[in-house]
Amino acid sequence: MTVGGGPVEEEKKPEGEGFTFPPEATQLGLISAVIAVVIVIFPGLPAIIKAAGLIFALLWGADSVRKTSKYGLGTGVPSIGVLAMGYGIVGALVGIAFGKYVSIGTGLLQVQPGVLVGVIAMAIVGLISGVLSNSEKVIGMKIPGLERGMMELGMAGALAMLLQFSIVAGSLNFDVVIDKAISNGLIAVMFVLSMMAMFHPYNACLGPDERRPRTLMVSVEISGLLCVILGIALAATSTSAWGVANGVSLIIFGAFVWGYFFVKFVKTAMREAYSTVGTGLIKTIE
Amino acid sequence: MEPILLIVCVLAGGVLASLGVHLLPVGGAPAAMGTATGVATGTVMLMLGAAMCGLFTASSVAAFSDNILLVSLSGGVGSWLMMGVTMLMANLLYVFGTGIVPVSGRVDVDPITGESQKEYRTPQCDGHGVPNVSYISGMMGALLGGFGGAIMYFGLLNYANFEPTMAGVAATGIFVSNAIIAAYNIGGTIEGFQDPKFKRLPKALLTCGVISLLCGVLVWVVANLGGLGGTM
Repeated sequence: MTVGGGPVEEEKKPEGEGFTFPPEATQLGLISAVIAVVIVIFPGLPAIIKAAGLIFALLWGADSVRKTSKYGLGTGVPSIGVLAMGYGIVGALVGIAFGKYVSIGTGLLQVQPGVLVGVIAMAIVGLISGVLSNSEKVIGMKIPGLERGMMELGMAGALAMLLQFSIVAGSLNFDVVIDKAISNGLIAVMFVLSMMAMFHPYNACLGPDERRPRTLMVSVEISGLLCVILGIALAATSTSAWGVANGVSLIIFGAFVWGYFFVKFVKTAMREAYSTVGTGLIKTIE
Repeated sequence: MEPILLIVCVLAGGVLASLGVHLLPVGGAPAAMGTATGVATGTVMLMLGAAMCGLFTASSVAAFSDNILLVSLSGGVGSWLMMGVTMLMANLLYVFGTGIVPVSGRVDVDPITGESQKEYRTPQCDGHGVPNVSYISGMMGALLGGFGGAIMYFGLLNYANFEPTMAGVAATGIFVSNAIIAAYNIGGTIEGFQDPKFKRLPKALLTCGVISLLCGVLVWVVANLGGLGGTM
């Protein structure tokens, strides 16, 4: 049924050593999606709360990448993370274009559920591409759950991109986002770093001893780095209602998240490597 | 008329990206050890690199010209140069660093030059380096891929009235999505048009056509609803 190698069994190791994420894949997806959606429709929130939503969206993406590429894609893990952000950019553009048509209130209390149209559009495109890629008659990748994986990746990518637009521009209005987040080139940094946060964890951690909580820690760590960079951009260009404090608090938050999860990851990796049984060197044939 | 031209440009870009990927000599991990034909990296990295180079040249030319053919061809030339240099440097490393002969693993006789390949292939290996036929195939792939990326950029820039940065990033996003779907079709590695996997091309063209059509419609929606002037 499966193609290629890779660990197919789900977490048979006992949990509890080191850091653990209680929810399994579906629960984590639902929780992250709800948190990210609630945060993204309030563009007036301070950047630090949006950053928390961004971390959840990227965590969802990283978990979907892990779930999908466990079976061996043939092209390497990064490909599906790049695909997610490729869809994410189109979805975020659709979202901000719809944003002003469904919008309630103004200023800090503005609610823009219209941006979710972009997320839904990417769910549809992702689902269609998943169905076509997995179908026996078309590409025939034969990966269980690829349809769902690509749908989730499109949604997570679009949500992550919308949250980053919202952090940097302080609003989800089309013209403001284009002026403050896109035409100055910040979108390229967002594109690259958020796809790193999605594909790098599983790409770096994969192997027979891979453990889900440890892998997902890397995603949170990269999201922290992304927050630092977005914070610097925000502090330098901010004209939002929260002032420079918005950017500075985001830098501190990002640095804290990055430092905490980096130390935690290195400690966990060292502790778990200690318990791995060595097999010795491969015998040389004379 | 402009919405149709925009969707046609995006569709052409996506389909050409898919075709370009099928023509590149992508070796993947086995090529990094010199045991398979192609450049030692994944399809995504090669096609993204080629497309980005193409977009740089295309956007430079688009700043001075409104001619769709000139802009698209300059994009093609940009990725052409990038792929040519990459394959040449890979071959230099393979030949003078690893000490292996560029040879195709799929065909016994080079279909273009007629050189015999079979004798030079190491047993248990799937070819080495970038042989002549793969080099020519890769050049064709890069030209088509870069042309596709640039025509998409031109469409987004002129028919959807996107800003240059926005058009570049949106074109990159749609382009890589299509390139990755095509990469899934070939299972990660291919050595050019002589590879038997090339016969799977219509399936990837169908999928990429559907996806880029949807993306084209979405981009048109963005241009219309976002209030970027000039569209219809």
